Amino acid sequence: MNPDNNLTASVGVFGLGNVLMGDDALGPTVIAHLLAGFDFPPEVHVEDLGPPGLDLHPHLADLDALILIDVVKAKGEPGELRLYSKEEILQHAPGPRVSPHDPGVKESLLALQFAGNDPEEILLVGVIPDRIDYEIGLSPRIREALPAVEKAVLEGLSRFGRQATVREPRLSADIWWENEGR
Amino acid sequence: MSKRIVVDPITRIEGHLRIDVEVDGGKVTKAWSSGQMWRGIENILIGRDPREAWLFTQRFCGVCTTVHAIASVRAVENAVQVEIPLNAQLIRNLILAAHAMHDHIVHFFHLSALDWVDVVSALDADPKATAKLAQSLSPWPRNSIQELTAVKDRLGGFVARGQLGIFANGYWGHEAMKLPPEVNLLGVHHYLQALDYQRKANQVVAILGGKTPNIQNLAVGGVANAINLDNQSTINMTTLFNIKNLLDEMTDFVKNVYLTDVCAIGAMYPDWLGYGAGVVNYLAVPDLPTDAAGTKFDLPGGTIMDGDLGTYKAITSFEDKYFADNIVEGISHSWYEGDRELHPYEGTTIPKYTEFQDDGKYSWIKSPRFQDRVMQVGPLAQVLVGAVSGHEPTARWLKFATDLAGSVAGIPIKTEMLHSTLGRHLARAVRTAVICEKAQEHWKLLVDNIASGDTDTFNEPTFSGLQMGYGFHEAPRGTLSHFVVIENGKIKNYQAVVPSTWNAGPRDAKNRPGPYEASLVGNPIADPERPLEVLRTIHSFDPCIACAVHTLDVEGNEIGSVRTL
Repeated sequence: MNPDNNLTASVGVFGLGNVLMGDDALGPTVIAHLLAGFDFPPEVHVEDLGPPGLDLHPHLADLDALILIDVVKAKGEPGELRLYSKEEILQHAPGPRVSPHDPGVKESLLALQFAGNDPEEILLVGVIPDRIDYEIGLSPRIREALPAVEKAVLEGLSRFGRQATVREPRLSADIWWENEGR
Repeated sequence: MSKRIVVDPITRIEGHLRIDVEVDGGKVTKAWSSGQMWRGIENILIGRDPREAWLFTQRFCGVCTTVHAIASVRAVENAVQVEIPLNAQLIRNLILAAHAMHDHIVHFFHLSALDWVDVVSALDADPKATAKLAQSLSPWPRNSIQELTAVKDRLGGFVARGQLGIFANGYWGHEAMKLPPEVNLLGVHHYLQALDYQRKANQVVAILGGKTPNIQNLAVGGVANAINLDNQSTINMTTLFNIKNLLDEMTDFVKNVYLTDVCAIGAMYPDWLGYGAGVVNYLAVPDLPTDAAGTKFDLPGGTIMDGDLGTYKAITSFEDKYFADNIVEGISHSWYEGDRELHPYEGTTIPKYTEFQDDGKYSWIKSPRFQDRVMQVGPLAQVLVGAVSGHEPTARWLKFATDLAGSVAGIPIKTEMLHSTLGRHLARAVRTAVICEKAQEHWKLLVDNIASGDTDTFNEPTFSGLQMGYGFHEAPRGTLSHFVVIENGKIKNYQAVVPSTWNAGPRDAKNRPGPYEASLVGNPIADPERPLEVLRTIHSFDPCIACAVHTLDVEGNEIGSVRTL
């Protein structure tokens, strides 16, 4: 994508993951921090999409560029960042699915590719998780990685020709799932 | 000699639905359905404010967000006995209806059609003959020779480059694939169109719910939407007409593409009206309430036992004890402490993992039973209950579907043939057509009610002492119910009995198999290395199991989910 033209085309910044499953909440948590800390141009959609499976694709259709934030299975230590491009995400075909709950990222992108309206450029900002289980809250090493994830997202955004503006003062992030009952 | 096939999509660190079948003489003789992930998610709710429970329950599952939100507010409202304003009821109904349309379209075209449609064979199709066939099925304007040629060329380009992309791992050329190339091309063409139309249904949910997934507009006691016809930022005439336009487009697609495709494709697999019946006890709850108290409904509920429509018994209201008093959940074959059958109010979720034991514990899913019977839930239950209860739109669309499929197949399709793998697909399409019609009616009810001057959307709930209640919703996959015990305004116990628990549950204390397991027995298996038939029957239920987690595996090669032992 040439950042000089097509400025009205949209860019998606989406956090994926389940907020009730420990480190799987990474994506939604990062989105909450981004929304609290920055203003984004109107054509940049910043959203927590949960783990939507194949229901991801309505959100990806016709986007010009896409940034996804998620935990990833990869070799390395918990908390380490892994950045992936579109080609890297799509290099292995997804397996046959039995339920609609497979991650859905590859499938959604491939379905859109076949339809001809998949995002041209993609950045997946991944973090290797520590604990994924029924509990609320990120484990310490994942929490420590949050500033680096935020930085990677903002750099990606700027590579895609969009700039976020720092909010002054920064709002407090709405991470409602970590609140205790009233 | 019998052979064991394990379909176990090990695509993630947590795993989800695993199906084991024993095959002898080319047929399934025994089957096991195993949920591979702990479902103790309800424990997260204990001690929380019941007014916020729906925010958490809609995160149970990334796909079924809306339905868990609705069931939760209904459960808490039932516990504290608060009625919600009619506007709130109708706004919720529109969201539910749009969600169901979306879900069923995705299920058919994107999750199960390719069990029947051979994508590669579409390359041999004649677009002209395909257009002619399509025009004989429905007046859908987007079935032109030009459009079909373009799709065929596009597919040809992908295949020529050796990039099947989304279609890379299908069972192409499998001997159980029977469609002529023209029907396959039509299927691929509509697969692409369905991508657009499900977005429209999603938009309805997003307009009313604030966003999707994870709607923001619910409250215990009603909805948070403000209604003011003169205000830009609330529900006004512009919003309402946007919704109407989207509903019109969806309805058109469902009636002229989805329903007719299911009939035409199904008609070419008449054998599958004879496989997959499994459990023929059915349960559906009523939905789309039309009054504030939840005593009148536009979609009927009830039970049918032993496949005999004469046994129909209605479930008539949110308060109906026939529903709530007759449910227990057993755990004798599930990885939990104990082997008792308990009512969901008393249910516990204490894990006790063993290995996969064919005759012992082998699943994280519990085994719910209704009056000591195994029940099938889902669109087939909804449609059979609708037909027997005299629900006019259900009977009318069912007749339309069986007439059309029967004329293509050249055999009359009788109600008893619906107890089958194909019957579940037909029923789902019929149900979607009914829901489209009802969504239109409820849109009108909402507009009329607002026009009469009623703009109420919320009644304040009151909490005190011990309050217990349940809420149900007839979700796309079937009966969903949440049970809540509240003490002094805090949640003391919470249990969700979800549709896939009814259908995917393991054997019970009496060793009676669950619906998935029973429906697989007797299915033919042409090629044990490529058990397409197992996927056909399991997909016909629209399984939804690991309602929780996903870790992206970018680097791994996700193939290898079928093992033959």
